[in-house]
Amino acid sequence: MIVKVDNLVKRYKELIALDHFSMEVREGEILGLLGPNGCGKTTAINCILSLLSFDKGEVEVLGKKMTPDAYDIKRQIGMVPQEVAVFENLTVKENIDYFCGLYIDDRSLRREYVEEAIDFVELKDYIGFYPKKLSGGLKRRLNIACGIVHKPRLIFLDEPTVAVDAQSRNFILEGIKKLNREGSTIIYTTHYLEEAEMLCNRIVIMDNGKSLVSGTNQELKAMITTTEKIIVRFSQDDDGIMERIGDIPHVIEVTEEDGDYIIKFENGINNISNLLEFIMENNLIYTKLYSQLPTLNDVFLELTGKGLRD
Amino acid sequence: MKTLLRNCIYQGKNVYRDMGFLFWGLIYPIILVSFFYIAFSGISNIGLEDIDIGMERENPISAILETIDMVNIVEVPRKDANRNLAEGNIDGFIDEDLNILVNDSGINQTMIKGIVEQIKQMNSLNRPMENYDFEANYIADRDQEANGILVIFYSLIGMVSTYSVFAGIETVSLAQGNLTNIGARLNITPLKKKDFLFAGIIVALAFNLLANGLLLLFIEFVLKMNLLREARYSLALIILGNIFGVSLGIFIGASNKQSIGVKTMFAIASTLFLSFLSGLMSPDIKIILDKNLPILGRINPLAIIGNSLYRVNLLGNTKDVGVGMALLTLYSIILIFGAYMFLRRRNYDSI
Ligand SMILES: Nc1ncnc2c1ncn2[C@@H]1O[C@H](COP(=O)(O)OP(=O)(O)OP(=O)(O)O)[C@@H](O)[C@H]1O
Ligand SMILES: [Mg+2]
Repeated sequence: MIVKVDNLVKRYKELIALDHFSMEVREGEILGLLGPNGCGKTTAINCILSLLSFDKGEVEVLGKKMTPDAYDIKRQIGMVPQEVAVFENLTVKENIDYFCGLYIDDRSLRREYVEEAIDFVELKDYIGFYPKKLSGGLKRRLNIACGIVHKPRLIFLDEPTVAVDAQSRNFILEGIKKLNREGSTIIYTTHYLEEAEMLCNRIVIMDNGKSLVSGTNQELKAMITTTEKIIVRFSQDDDGIMERIGDIPHVIEVTEEDGDYIIKFENGINNISNLLEFIMENNLIYTKLYSQLPTLNDVFLELTGKGLRD
Repeated sequence: MKTLLRNCIYQGKNVYRDMGFLFWGLIYPIILVSFFYIAFSGISNIGLEDIDIGMERENPISAILETIDMVNIVEVPRKDANRNLAEGNIDGFIDEDLNILVNDSGINQTMIKGIVEQIKQMNSLNRPMENYDFEANYIADRDQEANGILVIFYSLIGMVSTYSVFAGIETVSLAQGNLTNIGARLNITPLKKKDFLFAGIIVALAFNLLANGLLLLFIEFVLKMNLLREARYSLALIILGNIFGVSLGIFIGASNKQSIGVKTMFAIASTLFLSFLSGLMSPDIKIILDKNLPILGRINPLAIIGNSLYRVNLLGNTKDVGVGMALLTLYSIILIFGAYMFLRRRNYDSI
């Protein structure tokens, strides 16, 4: 385990931001810390990194207890904070070089790393710019570069792609995968399901300061009872249809959303044909019908009773 | 060592590119000193320039007057005296019979009258003129009056010597995770906070000393005022002022959670207020306080710097300078220690 967090409790006065939060990270993986706004992701990261004191619990990083002056651990860590944190009066390149120099003494190696980081976030055309002249998205990219430039063994990224456009976001996600392939372990917080699904080997789902479950994408989906969702739309309304759909084998829930019926199934392999049979028996005409595997949102929904999407 | 150097370079760049620093550290003092110079130029000139006395070549007292440092003899024929007076080439004209022609009434004219009266008296008493010390009796008097105004300039130099306070505030803010995002970020790098602060202090001192130097050059060569005659003590006082300033900045920075802007305004206001008490703006304040509350002038750090500069340079009095310097050093140590306590307490809860 490269990071071990055991029963962390963190209070901000009355507010309990972390409530016996536990988590483990394995060397070499990309771990997603997924949860809605305010669930405690940033607080968790800051506690792990000893930026914040906590009331209870234990944190081990790289096999040792993490403390504010554990400089040997800090040497091997990189962090991209949620808030942009760069020097306002240093240029893009100077900022990246400054942070790189805190870890890398060798001058030519540093120059190489700085160039790579600039390519990584595609800021080549902006190396002489001061941060205040950069757009919000470009600033975030600089923020990322400053945190990963020294190629650390363990990287924390706290919602790095917020406010970055779709194209750059994909580029950054690819870059993170590349860092991971080159040997960095990644801890990535996000409230974007899609990012977690596409990027992470393992995901920890968090809500209200607790870690609810953790596992791979598949494992998480296997944990819930819903195994399939079928969305269907009929050409005309039919009273009491929801109840009757509910009688189809393996259906666990039927909901209506803008005229679409969303039918959740547990188990069963013939769900679509069972539904089609039902439609024919009732002389219904459908205008839309498709099947979906459950998403992380469904996992979240089942675990907490609320959706993760805003 | 390498870490320190790199931090100095980058923090230095971060500071000198900041318009706020350039303004408060460099431009504002130059504006202030120019403002005071213009406002008091009528009075301060006399303290700095010689008295020009016109007379004809054969005038017997020219030999006596020539021995007085502050008097400058200008050869003017009697018939041109009025024109030269009107044009301001001379402050007064003395003829062979020791009659005085003036066109103005000011301290210089009073001075000329005083000197001439003295000569007349000595003549009538048949005393040898060489024995009389004009410098001590008249010129010193006159300087005393002008020196009141010079207090302002020494106070100003004293005040700006403490302007390392701004960079001190900045560096401690950048180092603290609970004050700036950069601080939080730096807290998870292997850089030790004390290394960052140490580099910041060096940068603060270097920049402010440079800014002080530029101000002094401006005073010397543009305003043509010769204020620092006693270089060694002056330099020591200015350096101590800088050290006090940066200590104050670190203390202000570490002691509370206000923004850098608020802290900077607080620093400007407090140094300005203490300088005001030490005679900046109006020497009368200083005179009143020295009379009624003399302790204030002795413990007010800005007054210590300003007064010591004044005494050392104008009066050649170095008697109490050591005490003042010791006090400034003590203040700096106390402030740094206080800041250290604040920083230590926050060490763990960095945000
Ligand atoms: N310094 C603080 N003082 C008091 N409460 C705080 C502080 N920082 C965070 N909180 C509270 O703690 C809770 C967790 O905040 P945190 O920033 O960790 O959430 P998050 O999961 O990172 O959210 P987001 O996705 O918006 O970044 C929130 O309710 C927040 O309001
Ligand atoms: Mg957050």
